Amino acid sequence: MGENTIKVKCLRYDPAVDKKPHYKKYKVPMQEDDMSVHDCLEYIRSNLDPSLAYFINCRHGFCLRCSLRVNGKVVLACETKVEDDMTLEPVNMDTIIRDLWCEST
Amino acid sequence: MPAELYDREVTCDLLVVGSEGAGGPTAIFAARSGANVLIISKGKISSCGASQMAGADFNLDGENALKIGLPGDDRDSPDRFFEDLVREGFYLSNQKIVEKYVEYAAKNTKDLLDWGMPVYRFEQVHAEEMARGLISSGVKWVRAIRRQVRELDIPMLEDTMVVDLLTRDGRVIGAVALDLKTGEIILIMAKAVVLCTGGWQYAYHFNTASIDLTGDGQAMAFRAGAELLGMEMVQYAPLTMLWPPIARKSIIPYILCETEAGPLIQLLNSEGERFMEKYDPNTMEQSTKEIVAIGTELEVVAGRGSPHGGAFFALKHLTPDGVDFIWSKYKEFLDENKDNRPEFRTLLPYLFERSKTEDLEVGNAAHFMPGGIKVNELTETSIPGLYAAGECSGGLWGSVRVASACTQVSAQGRIAGEVCPGYMKEVEHQGPDLSKLEEIHERITKPLKSKEGVSPFDLLKRMHAITEEHLKVIKDGPGLEKAYRELSRMRREEAPRLYVSASKTKTLNYEWELCLELQNMLLCLEMYSQGCLTREESRGVHYRSDFPHTDNDNWCVNTVFSNQDGDPILSTEDPVVTKVQPPKGKMSFNQAVESATASLKRRGVE
Repeated sequence: MGENTIKVKCLRYDPAVDKKPHYKKYKVPMQEDDMSVHDCLEYIRSNLDPSLAYFINCRHGFCLRCSLRVNGKVVLACETKVEDDMTLEPVNMDTIIRDLWCEST
Repeated sequence: MPAELYDREVTCDLLVVGSEGAGGPTAIFAARSGANVLIISKGKISSCGASQMAGADFNLDGENALKIGLPGDDRDSPDRFFEDLVREGFYLSNQKIVEKYVEYAAKNTKDLLDWGMPVYRFEQVHAEEMARGLISSGVKWVRAIRRQVRELDIPMLEDTMVVDLLTRDGRVIGAVALDLKTGEIILIMAKAVVLCTGGWQYAYHFNTASIDLTGDGQAMAFRAGAELLGMEMVQYAPLTMLWPPIARKSIIPYILCETEAGPLIQLLNSEGERFMEKYDPNTMEQSTKEIVAIGTELEVVAGRGSPHGGAFFALKHLTPDGVDFIWSKYKEFLDENKDNRPEFRTLLPYLFERSKTEDLEVGNAAHFMPGGIKVNELTETSIPGLYAAGECSGGLWGSVRVASACTQVSAQGRIAGEVCPGYMKEVEHQGPDLSKLEEIHERITKPLKSKEGVSPFDLLKRMHAITEEHLKVIKDGPGLEKAYRELSRMRREEAPRLYVSASKTKTLNYEWELCLELQNMLLCLEMYSQGCLTREESRGVHYRSDFPHTDNDNWCVNTVFSNQDGDPILSTEDPVVTKVQPPKGKMSFNQAVESATASLKRRGVE
């Protein structure tokens, strides 16, 4: 990996077309300062993969709907800093509606 | 009726589009009078739109504050509050709406207290001369509304986007919505519709709002034939976090500027100068938002901006333990009020810590829309059966919002909820006009059916680039002309060709939603640039470097946008005056600001 990109592994599952969940890998350019998981997801959707389903709304912890798992731990995407080699998954794998959205989103 | 034009049908008396600060009270008051109400929200109640993110402050004149036991100032009165609002709004307000605002400010404060919204303080906000501001939290506000909505058992469709209104014989008879979770098209038959959809901040690359504010209400009202008013007025918030990225778009630096003792923050340019000394030496960083925004932008234009196009926000002068002390005081305040908002608990201490050794960056972000759907003091639009309350409406603020938006949305929401039931008794449900329904169905489904076309993410980037290049705080004729022509072309030629490029799955397909939202944002931005170009003066939030004077002889008028075969046509009309006559003559922008804000507590002067 180049110095200025991070590797992100993201769970993908679209029940309409996929038999089961799988992971997709992305390389995301790192800004030269702290960026959030939310910024990273926004980059992926706007530039790499418009089909990625996740929730964003307020960016700063008011709506509390952007919770997901980063490396297994439940966090708010908007207030969590990105790290290299991170794995993103929905909070509840059993109730996925699509990708990172689950029933509780 | 051909079933293929929609997947589900719902019937109600009143459709309220939006569930928060304006939509909540609308639904609550209409439901209390026995109306069969349906709320549709693009997100989830208490977790969407602008209200959740409010500071939040509410306004109330001192006389009425005293009546409900708040420490109001007996020098204040409803009349005085009214006059301040009209003068500070540079005389473009509809004064009948301002009268209602003042009257309902008192009523709705009582509502909110009854609903359990806590009061942190009663103090000066918006630089008023005397205490008129009730401080609470946006999160606690919207949760208080949510409790009422649930108690009344008002039905709700969440994560559902209302796309267009249905009209028949010149009145609104329902709407068509898209269930974002399933992709189903819903036909809603209603006797009346209240739009409470907020602003269109996401049309700007740099804004302070949640991403769901995309001008849906303004655009659907326009398409249905309603008039819009003052769309060239967009208020920018200077001091919005620009860098680091994790803090981007947060307006938390404001709380460091609002202190009685003067601003804690120093705004610096790239040469380390505290540049507000040049633009408002008396009040410095506590000057009006408009002057701070213009000052910041002038520094950027002169090549003295910060690396990411703003100014440095510095706390280093406080010394590291001084910063710790201030954070400990804020923390006490948060603990005392049991306030756990992450922006305060996580982001604020992070910014304090970094500010000990670095200067972070702030800039001017699109923050509030004083204009919108033209309404009267009863929230009625130019179409029978269609009402608009809150930020999506226009008429209250004139050319700048000078008091609480939370009070505006609460007041107008309650008024709409009180007024609609009377209208609904007079009318019957009507079936939809089939050709209209077909047209809307086609507009919704086309992006999903099309195999090629314009990518929404690409168009979004190009639209945002225009806002960065030409539609910032300081505008001029040639830039506006370019922006207007390009935005109008994008709306007419590219927006109809938007298509979902990746997955055609109907469930939670944001690309699909964005196709629909872009059509709305482009329309709002087009009217904005058209209005700014036509208004050859500077007034309130509107500032043009080629017309830097406030021209009361020619421009003490409102712009009105009407729909002519789908295109916005601009005309002007005099503001509605009841008590305060607008002045005559031309003044420099600074003189006009001085005269409009003369009674404000100019903290730096004391």
